[in-house]
Amino acid sequence: MAVAASLPQGSAETFGGWARLGRPAGLLVLVLALAFLTLYPMVMLLYGSLHSTPPGIPGEFNLAGYLGLATSENLLVLANTFGLSLVKTTLSLALAVLLAWIVARTDTPGRGVLEVLITLPFFIPPILTATAWAMLGNAQVGTLNLAWRWLSGTDSTLVDVFSYGGVVWHMMQYSTPFIFLFVVDAFRAMDPALEDSSRMSGAGQWQTFWRITFGLMLPVTSAAFILSFIRGMESFESAVFFGTPVGINVITTAIYNSITQRAQPDYQSATAFGFAAMALMFLLLVLQAKLLRGRSFTTVTGKGYAPNVVKLGWMRWLTFAICVAFFLLTVALPVGQLLLSSLFQFFGFYQLDMLTLDHYRNVWRNRDFWTALGNTMLLGIAGATATMALGGVVAYVTTRTRWPGRRLIGVLAWLPWMMPGMVLGIGFLWGFASLPHEIPIYGTLWALLLAYVALGTPVAVRVASAAYQQIATDIEECSRVHGAGFWQTLWRILVALAWPAFAVGWMLIFFGILRELSASILLYAPGTEVLSVMMLKMWTGGKPEEVSVIGLLMLAMVLLFRWAQLRFIQKRIRTL
Amino acid sequence: MAITRRTFVTLAAAFGVPASAGAQDGADWQQVVDAAKKEGKLVIYTATLGSPYHKTVVKAFEDKYGIRVDMLEARASEVRERVRIEQAAGRFVGDIHHNGSTTTWLMMRDGNLQPHGAIPNARNIVPPFEADDIRIPAEVISYSVMINRNLVKSADEPKSWKDLLDPRWAGKILSDDYRALGGGAVFFVVMYNTFGKEFHEKLAAQKPVFARDIANSERRVARGEFPIYIPFSLQDYNQLKSLPIKPIVPAEGRPYVRFDLTTLKNAPHPNAARVFMNFYLEPAQQLVFANAGYNPVVKDVVEKVDPELRPLLATKAMGTTVPERQDDMLELAKQIYK
Repeated sequence: MAVAASLPQGSAETFGGWARLGRPAGLLVLVLALAFLTLYPMVMLLYGSLHSTPPGIPGEFNLAGYLGLATSENLLVLANTFGLSLVKTTLSLALAVLLAWIVARTDTPGRGVLEVLITLPFFIPPILTATAWAMLGNAQVGTLNLAWRWLSGTDSTLVDVFSYGGVVWHMMQYSTPFIFLFVVDAFRAMDPALEDSSRMSGAGQWQTFWRITFGLMLPVTSAAFILSFIRGMESFESAVFFGTPVGINVITTAIYNSITQRAQPDYQSATAFGFAAMALMFLLLVLQAKLLRGRSFTTVTGKGYAPNVVKLGWMRWLTFAICVAFFLLTVALPVGQLLLSSLFQFFGFYQLDMLTLDHYRNVWRNRDFWTALGNTMLLGIAGATATMALGGVVAYVTTRTRWPGRRLIGVLAWLPWMMPGMVLGIGFLWGFASLPHEIPIYGTLWALLLAYVALGTPVAVRVASAAYQQIATDIEECSRVHGAGFWQTLWRILVALAWPAFAVGWMLIFFGILRELSASILLYAPGTEVLSVMMLKMWTGGKPEEVSVIGLLMLAMVLLFRWAQLRFIQKRIRTL
Repeated sequence: MAITRRTFVTLAAAFGVPASAGAQDGADWQQVVDAAKKEGKLVIYTATLGSPYHKTVVKAFEDKYGIRVDMLEARASEVRERVRIEQAAGRFVGDIHHNGSTTTWLMMRDGNLQPHGAIPNARNIVPPFEADDIRIPAEVISYSVMINRNLVKSADEPKSWKDLLDPRWAGKILSDDYRALGGGAVFFVVMYNTFGKEFHEKLAAQKPVFARDIANSERRVARGEFPIYIPFSLQDYNQLKSLPIKPIVPAEGRPYVRFDLTTLKNAPHPNAARVFMNFYLEPAQQLVFANAGYNPVVKDVVEKVDPELRPLLATKAMGTTVPERQDDMLELAKQIYK
């Protein structure tokens, strides 16, 4: 292969020497780095769950936190959380796979633009879409219900977002584009020869989709499902906004109550709840591993290919309508509300005499905003790059080698995803503040950067692993035969071929950093404020309209990133 | 070496030991100010997120004394936990702690605070507020009833808190949650103390709808989703007054919650902290808060407040939370409002 053939001669010898001496050292460094980033805060939290008082206060070790979980009220909370997340993830997966297939593998008109638009909801701060939907879908004066009553001439209610359905719907707006981003590039990167073989063997279109296309996507779809399901279990905004007013409680609202809603914060209960949730999620990971064990999902081989596009005929207008409907419901309606709100004096009061550009001016003139934006961009770019680099290496070790300790590395990298963010934030605070004073992390940008890398690593590993699993090992072996070393093969073969997935992973992590609040609010110091903290200050200070302005700015950034990324992917696919 | 009075005052200032009453005035206070200027910096941990009024006062302080102020803003429990773990780890970063009276009481009990030293302007504090060696009252959040003027006719406006129990408001009251810390919990305690458990049992029968996002709840009522919101913080009125809403302080008075200023244990800049506390109690600074809808804690300020707010702030202070009983009260609220 051209890539491998161009590698410098003699590197095998160098690599061999490095590998002999460096592999154990490299593994040790990797394990230590991951242990510091993920295990260390977890150990602090475990201490908190087993100790009657948080670190630094005299107390005693006991199991009160865990024993206190066994109440009927908590079991209901657990069932609610599990059920809501399962329903929303299943629906989101079905919708996301359909949308990804339409965009990546059919001749639906305008699919380039649709791909960008479908992903937009993921990047809007949840508090803004929640506010927008509360205005659109509340039972009394929601815009949708008013329109329905006017059209139908009845007093009936069409939608009520303050319900189980509302919680699921709001969570779906984030999980559908999230899963879509995971699966769309895997659809695109699939060698159509496998599908052609299926059809030539007599299988129909649907059979081929289900048994070949979807079957081969199993690592990606199951990874996305698990990630999204776990995120659903840890979701806070949807439940607190649409569930709490009607008595729907989930794990995160129970933890939030334990930490912030009592005179004496109960960290022991909160952390014990976090670990109970973590145990439940760990079971899911075991199930996923069993599902995928011993099966091959290679779709990217050394042979050249061009992605297959299904000609849908008149049906392409139906698929187009599905994409447009999704866009209208999840983007146009809430974003339209945001845009309107940013132009009026008050969110939701659309009177001509209240038209204003003051919110834009206020944000523009706000020095704190620019400081926060600068810090956030620095942390976002550095954090996403470092996280993808770490995730790429971890994924390589766990999926492409048989090195001892690779399972431990995989588990370490996964830990942060399984602990609800608001609990993990406490773990970082306890961990970083307790470091020796000579290690200058606490109170600096480093604290935020390290927390962001730890929080993003599970996504990075999942994205990279799923992409690696689709790349045939013969390409890699070919590279090694031609003398490439470990790093050269990783960079010039695996990363080069998995680039589109890496770009998606980078973006997910970058925007995850932009939105991250739980750890940020506990770790920032004067001078290191970030955008999420700034937005919380504005929201709490009664400025939702200015938060809308920042939300729109974030959307503009997404559009720019996605445009650049898709241009790059299209260019690469043409050259494959 | 003999310890002169001047040396004693300086040492007392540096270590946060309460100075004698005589040390409050004139040249002695000037020494505290000089020491503060020498420290040159002040770090405030505050639970008031995004408040422009606090920034105004901080800016005025910086301009007057040339002392740089860094503010760390977070929610009450987050501020408390940061202070606690920092002190446990031997990191003494913050100087002033600014938080609600319940959290402040808990931190005082846990030994996170130290005496602030004599504050000359503390003599101007008016009842029912009072300072002690650790706590200086800062400003007060007062609660009222907020109505939507389009949905509640003048004749139907609640005049007593008990009017909320009228069947006409069943299912029509949006409220901050009484089962969690915040304005709702303050309201619960004060109503319980004033009218007894029966009031809450009747209010529970009205099926109030609970929400936690105050800014959004206020807008929901302004948009007409509900006619009534309780408890409405008066300091939010200025921002919303061009909307069809009206704050009403019922005849019995207004529940309130006090914010306190305290000095954190081993504060690196204790003199700057002390000068800031004194500055905070000046009538000019208290007027900034009063014009924003907070009740001032010193005399001769309410009279100078914007005429629209003055009658609301001049109403009777009805009562506030009792930190020692807070968790019991939250538990009782959970039992009544299921």
